[in-house]
Amino acid sequence: MATLLVEIGCEELPASACREAERQLPELAKRAFGVEPSSVLVTARRLAVLAEDVPEQTADQWVKGPPVAMREKAAPGFAKRHGVEVDELEERDGFLGVVVAGKALAEVLPDQVDELVRGLGFSKTMRWDDSGLRFPRPVRWRLAMLNATRILGERSYGHRFRSGTIEIADAGGYAEALRAHGVEPDSNQRRQEIVAALDGLGEWSDPNRVLAEVVYLVESPVVLDCSFDERYLQLPSRVVETTIQHHVRAFPLGGNRFAFVANGGDPDTVRAGVENVVGGRLEDASFTFERDVKVGIDALSERLGAITFFQGAGSFADKTGRLAKLVEALGGGEAALEAARLAKADQASELVREFTELEGHVGAEYARLAGYPEAVCAAIDEQYLPDAADAPLPGTETGRVLSAADKIDTLNVSFGLGHRPTGSRDPYGLRRAAIGLGRLATEGKLMVPRELMDPEVTEFVEERFEGLLTAPVEYVRAARRAPVRDLGGVARLAEALAALPDERLGPIHTAYTRASRLAEREQGAAEELEPALLVEDAEAKVAAALERVDAEIATALDAGDFNAAVEAGAELGPLLDRFFDDVLVLADDRAVRANRLRLLLNVRDTLGRLGELSQIPR
Amino acid sequence: MIGTLNAYWGERGAVIMQPYHTELGAGTSNPATFLRVLDPAHPQWRAAYVEPVIRPADGRYGENPYRFQHYFQYQVILKPAPEDVLDQYFGSLEALGIDLLKHDLRLVEDDWEQPTLGAWGLGWEVWCDAMEVTQFTYFQQLGGIDLEVIPAEMTYGLERLGLFLQGKTTVLDLEWAPGVTWGDVYRENERQWSQYNYEEAPVDVLQRRFDEHEAEAEQLLDKNLPLPAYDQVLKSSHAFNLLDARGAVSVTERAAYIGRVRTLARRFAQLYVGTDGDAPG
Repeated sequence: MATLLVEIGCEELPASACREAERQLPELAKRAFGVEPSSVLVTARRLAVLAEDVPEQTADQWVKGPPVAMREKAAPGFAKRHGVEVDELEERDGFLGVVVAGKALAEVLPDQVDELVRGLGFSKTMRWDDSGLRFPRPVRWRLAMLNATRILGERSYGHRFRSGTIEIADAGGYAEALRAHGVEPDSNQRRQEIVAALDGLGEWSDPNRVLAEVVYLVESPVVLDCSFDERYLQLPSRVVETTIQHHVRAFPLGGNRFAFVANGGDPDTVRAGVENVVGGRLEDASFTFERDVKVGIDALSERLGAITFFQGAGSFADKTGRLAKLVEALGGGEAALEAARLAKADQASELVREFTELEGHVGAEYARLAGYPEAVCAAIDEQYLPDAADAPLPGTETGRVLSAADKIDTLNVSFGLGHRPTGSRDPYGLRRAAIGLGRLATEGKLMVPRELMDPEVTEFVEERFEGLLTAPVEYVRAARRAPVRDLGGVARLAEALAALPDERLGPIHTAYTRASRLAEREQGAAEELEPALLVEDAEAKVAAALERVDAEIATALDAGDFNAAVEAGAELGPLLDRFFDDVLVLADDRAVRANRLRLLLNVRDTLGRLGELSQIPR
Repeated sequence: MIGTLNAYWGERGAVIMQPYHTELGAGTSNPATFLRVLDPAHPQWRAAYVEPVIRPADGRYGENPYRFQHYFQYQVILKPAPEDVLDQYFGSLEALGIDLLKHDLRLVEDDWEQPTLGAWGLGWEVWCDAMEVTQFTYFQQLGGIDLEVIPAEMTYGLERLGLFLQGKTTVLDLEWAPGVTWGDVYRENERQWSQYNYEEAPVDVLQRRFDEHEAEAEQLLDKNLPLPAYDQVLKSSHAFNLLDARGAVSVTERAAYIGRVRTLARRFAQLYVGTDGDAPG
């Protein structure tokens, strides 16, 4: 038994590649060496695996040959291929075969390391020489050791600038040897060190989650307490935050302070340099900001006619006009209308050209500076929310209205131009918009009339409910076919149908399905129901109940009480059960038959207001 | 700075070239890079040169101390990429006087793509104390052709490096020569060219020029003259950049223009690679 070290040395790997490797290495190493690794150590420059108690001999292997019955015909060839005599072949489970002895691990290790390197899968790879190997960045060295014996490669490398080559005396001492040269090979350890140092500086934040990247940008983290000139605090706070996070991958500490994680160097020199870069970026942003503010948000909004929203969809001025109409249709008040008018103004600003990810936020800041009411500014700020599956909805009602209007317009326009998302291609982010709209209508309880969306869009948005709601897919599909006016209603109807116990849903489901089928198959239903022709008690009872239930369903739907609507519909269940038991629909008397078909059509229409119940499997 | 880099890369076998004679948006477009990287007859090529790059839409009338429509790149191309290419690169920073132990130098993932040239590669931004001083790229594809021999390209931002070395905060204050600042030399230039790029450049003439350069490039390609054709591709690309800065290109047209330049670049690359025997020595 031995301790095994395998190190793959690379030029600086992207953080995403480091994480991909870290996820795969335990399984791949186990497959290659037969033992679960005791540690996986990843930095931008090295992917290393340590395993303890690795057998120094690979296991013997049973190679199955021909069936015993083929001894005469096939065994000699098989035996020859494996360098043994026919009578040396062993018999197991009716087959002949041979046991191939395991090999020394040292002998096969170079191939196994190669297998490991080639076995790693990455989302983005490159070539750098004629070896044919693809990897996220060039592989520059390989080291494999069993205890103190070097099997492959001679040495490792420490910090890129502080230490050159390092001798590893013993596989088990690998991590310590690197630490002695200032490299912390364990990503968890690095993360803890960085977090501890940040905690030591006070309150810190990481709104764009750059820590996950920083952990793989440094091998010897040193956290520096930096600051910038206080006059840049006049900039929109997110501009400062984005500069710190996005441009230098540092962490805001509040006020004019931030923390930069260095990878070595002289702390004072590095701090001065980083502060200079941040200062320069903020100066650049200030310059742009002041030019925009001088123009003002109203004048910016007047420039939108010259900016294309997207190909075939007119300008941002056209979009602004459509937004106003949609906001009105969504019941938005004065503040929401004002917000719609100014919503896209920041597309004409220079600051958004530099910080595209801050669209909306920049406009809100400019609106604040121009003295618009906070409800207007907040709505402009929140119009792109929710911008991710787990992102919050806009916090204000005006924000929710504007956000829904923006999404409806983008969806209508995109689908109108034929930009339906296909497979993984969704360049306009339409899935995200549709999910956001769905969430606004459900979680956000915003009344979104379905008629505001083009039919194709309604369908696309409601398909998203299948993943958003707890109700099973079939209930969602059933509810989507109901003549409900608003988007959220579809969701609540689906939930109400799914909440109805099976024994109550069963009868109306059956009745609805049978009534639909009969009505489809048979011609000659009466135009109007004739009470005098309801000769059987069971049909008279259904007719009487139907009139009441229909009104109840209508009232409940109007009130948006979908549970009550479904409950009302379910009342018909036992009566319909009896009807089908006692009454022959296709009676010989033509008038009676026509009347019964009419009754069933009425049943179908009434229950149909609860959705296409036949979608629900029974 | 330029002298130091010339000496450093010259010692390492690079041919010290001069800037190209027509407007380029990046040193990559200089034939010393674009053509030599594609050239199958010369699997080895090393060159280094200064390139003034012209990006009409980046001008700010000399008022913004960080954005200009004309600035300088120092370009190094090593084909094939040597195994110790990063060590060589960091050696060049040391030669410029940057103490690698005093500063924080790091390689931050940044992949490069140039749709008009049908080109992409993987690499990094090189940060020195968080200042991006170089773009480092291993080219994978140029002119739509997968490269057999992978080169390494290093593009130093000379103004940025200068800021760093001189400890200045704005490019305008860079000392260009003793007693002469960058601003003294180029600020008025920026003002006038920005006015030209944004306000005066004649749209109809530029549109016509684009068409003419494109047509000429095609004719030259038909006559198996890829090298003169390449200049026409560059000129049409510059005409497009000017039109873009003038705001005369809608989003639709933009995609169409880029597509036209890319088509030319691809045709050129295919012809050029196909004419291996005749490629310029």
